[in-house]
Amino acid sequence: MKHNRIPWTILAVLLVSALVLGACAQQATPTQEPEVQTPGDIDCTGVTAGDTVSMLYQWSGEEEAKLTAILAPWSEACGVTVTPESSRDQALLDTRVQAGTPPDVAFWNVTQLSQYKDKLVDMTTLGANAANYAGYWGEIGTIDGRWLGLPVKADVKTLIWYSPANFQTAGYTVPTTWEELDALVEKMVADGNVPWSMGFESGDATGWTGTDFIQDILLVTQGPEYVSKIITGEIPYNDAGVREAYEIYGKWAKDPKYTVGGAEGTLSTGFNDAILKVFSDVPEAFMVKQSGFASGTILGTYPDKVYGVDYDFFGVPGAKGLQGGSDWLMVFNDTPAVRSLIKYLSSDKGGQMWAEVGFDLTPNAAGNASYASAESIKKAELLSSTTGFTPDIGDSIPGGFGSVEFGGITDFVNGGDLTTILDTIAAAQADALAQ
Amino acid sequence: MAKTIALPVMKQKRWVPWLYLLPAMIIMSIFILYPMINTFGLSFQNADSTASAATTCREGQPCWGVFENYRYALTNELNMETPQTTWESFWISSYGNTIKWLLVMVTGTVGLGLIFAVLVDRIKLESLAKSIIFMPMAISFVGAGVIWKFVYNYGTSQVQIGILNAVITSLGFEPVAWLSKIPLNTFMLIVVGIWMWTGFCMTLLSSAIKAIPEEIIEASRIDGATNFDIFTKVQVPIIAPTIVVVITTMVINVLKLFDIVYVMTGGNFGTNVIATRMYTEMYTNANYGRGTAIAVILVLFIVPFIIMNIRRFTKQEAMR
Repeated sequence: MKHNRIPWTILAVLLVSALVLGACAQQATPTQEPEVQTPGDIDCTGVTAGDTVSMLYQWSGEEEAKLTAILAPWSEACGVTVTPESSRDQALLDTRVQAGTPPDVAFWNVTQLSQYKDKLVDMTTLGANAANYAGYWGEIGTIDGRWLGLPVKADVKTLIWYSPANFQTAGYTVPTTWEELDALVEKMVADGNVPWSMGFESGDATGWTGTDFIQDILLVTQGPEYVSKIITGEIPYNDAGVREAYEIYGKWAKDPKYTVGGAEGTLSTGFNDAILKVFSDVPEAFMVKQSGFASGTILGTYPDKVYGVDYDFFGVPGAKGLQGGSDWLMVFNDTPAVRSLIKYLSSDKGGQMWAEVGFDLTPNAAGNASYASAESIKKAELLSSTTGFTPDIGDSIPGGFGSVEFGGITDFVNGGDLTTILDTIAAAQADALAQ
Repeated sequence: MAKTIALPVMKQKRWVPWLYLLPAMIIMSIFILYPMINTFGLSFQNADSTASAATTCREGQPCWGVFENYRYALTNELNMETPQTTWESFWISSYGNTIKWLLVMVTGTVGLGLIFAVLVDRIKLESLAKSIIFMPMAISFVGAGVIWKFVYNYGTSQVQIGILNAVITSLGFEPVAWLSKIPLNTFMLIVVGIWMWTGFCMTLLSSAIKAIPEEIIEASRIDGATNFDIFTKVQVPIIAPTIVVVITTMVINVLKLFDIVYVMTGGNFGTNVIATRMYTEMYTNANYGRGTAIAVILVLFIVPFIIMNIRRFTKQEAMR
């Protein structure tokens, strides 16, 4: 009877694999009532209950939970099931798009709008409500005359974080103009204090905090138009204005009197560690220029710190516009469910929901009054009162410019020759924009 | 009535061996051959593979026509103003760094592996010593990169959390930014590679040494050879074929090396190697033409060593 065992073994293996596969398969869509409800102002036209929308985004954990909370009213009202995937790996999105199996929608960076422009569906076709967005958002999201991306989330980068308590102890006041900032920095150095904390280290994106700083200096010395012209290539990167910004920055970033650890400190400190150095028990510096996420880093390490007392921020004084990161919703497949999603997020209700949940800032102007925290309200005020919003130069020029720019500023702080570096970056800029 | 009985004859048709090979050949064609041919084809096209690479040439800039991606891959990192700047920039380019990796890491791992193999052969706790030396091999490259990033950490404050700088500062010296100081940083990365791969070389070389018949060693002792003589004139010549295989294997490993550099410096501060540059062009910059051109160059570097390895292997098989 020995031979009889083999079929049983096979059967057992099959059963086990069936169980495993069953566990891996998507959960069955919960049965919804057949009629589509349209409560409040969520437009579900054409959606059949049980429709799915596949999504790819970079958020996970708490951020993902926030997005789910924002989307909940829509998915409940329209009976749409979201099949999300979370990955920070852009190679995954690239592979999917190249293979012709993209997700229905992706939340990704502004660069992808131009990278995938031939594969994306127009926002106008999808019924997005342009009235809720300031003019500059439309300009950024429009590629070759087509509005391809809906800005869903914004993060202001043109901020300087400081400790009001430390400022008070040392007798410093928040500067309101660039000249005042410069004077404050010199005063701190004269007092034997270190004004800046800077940190470049960030894996293969090392250097981005430096190029952010350069861009903020450009917003002060030249303005948002100038930055936009660098992005379009009208102004070459080795222009005198850019050179001046690098020189202003280099004076601070390379000198241990002006920044913690001098050039070596700037190069080898992680961008998060650089934030913490300003708020530690024995603070190593007084200010750090960093995006809106800095408060998260501060509270992550020092949960007892209080906003407005232990930490606070001010916009880079004298900046004639803001620099910011923004996340964009781009659509690969035009379906009724996707249309209802676009309509929801661009509606008043979508903007308010985004602000209430407090997932950074929403570019949707309808959300301005709905933020819960004083910190978000202050950031939202900066965002809504600005006259220009420039995306990160490095992120906006496709085709390898970003990594050359990051590498360039890293070399510059590491003692490289500025003329050679700016020429190299300018060549990459011309190269990327010629493609 | 006499009956002729036809005996079955064991005779195979000529195509039968091909039949046995077929599954392997199909798999190899799909997963190795096709991607290679496709990669080669892509390397002559532009960033998103929609036109010839020649269309990416810009006026007033050097251009190699359809080989434009290869011009970029080979010359873009160099600063060719004067012979001296060319030479200097070569040694911090991905090619120069790969040469440094090859020279230092291959000699380091094989040399140390050989020394350890001979030394552990003579101690009591041989297996324990070997396990300890082999252990880094069990850690993933990314894990090792993170561990060593802490070892090399450069703190700006009074407290150094990186053990290397903690030791140095406690001896009264200034802390060193190990990972951003050119050209020191590449060698600090190579140390991590040596730490990981020495165990591998040691294991292979140790088993070769153990395979040397005891009589030969005894005979040479009787002839008055010192330990050093036995090592240089008996053991090393006998295990030479194994050493060659270990060297070629390590050369291939080093040429493909990616993880340590990517995790620890991201290719910054002049530490790029060919494989990290390929990744940057391919995924960070989404330039498939340039990425695949670098991939093809990398393959061309590796192929001779693979051929050497296979030749050595078939020679050994033939001897059996």
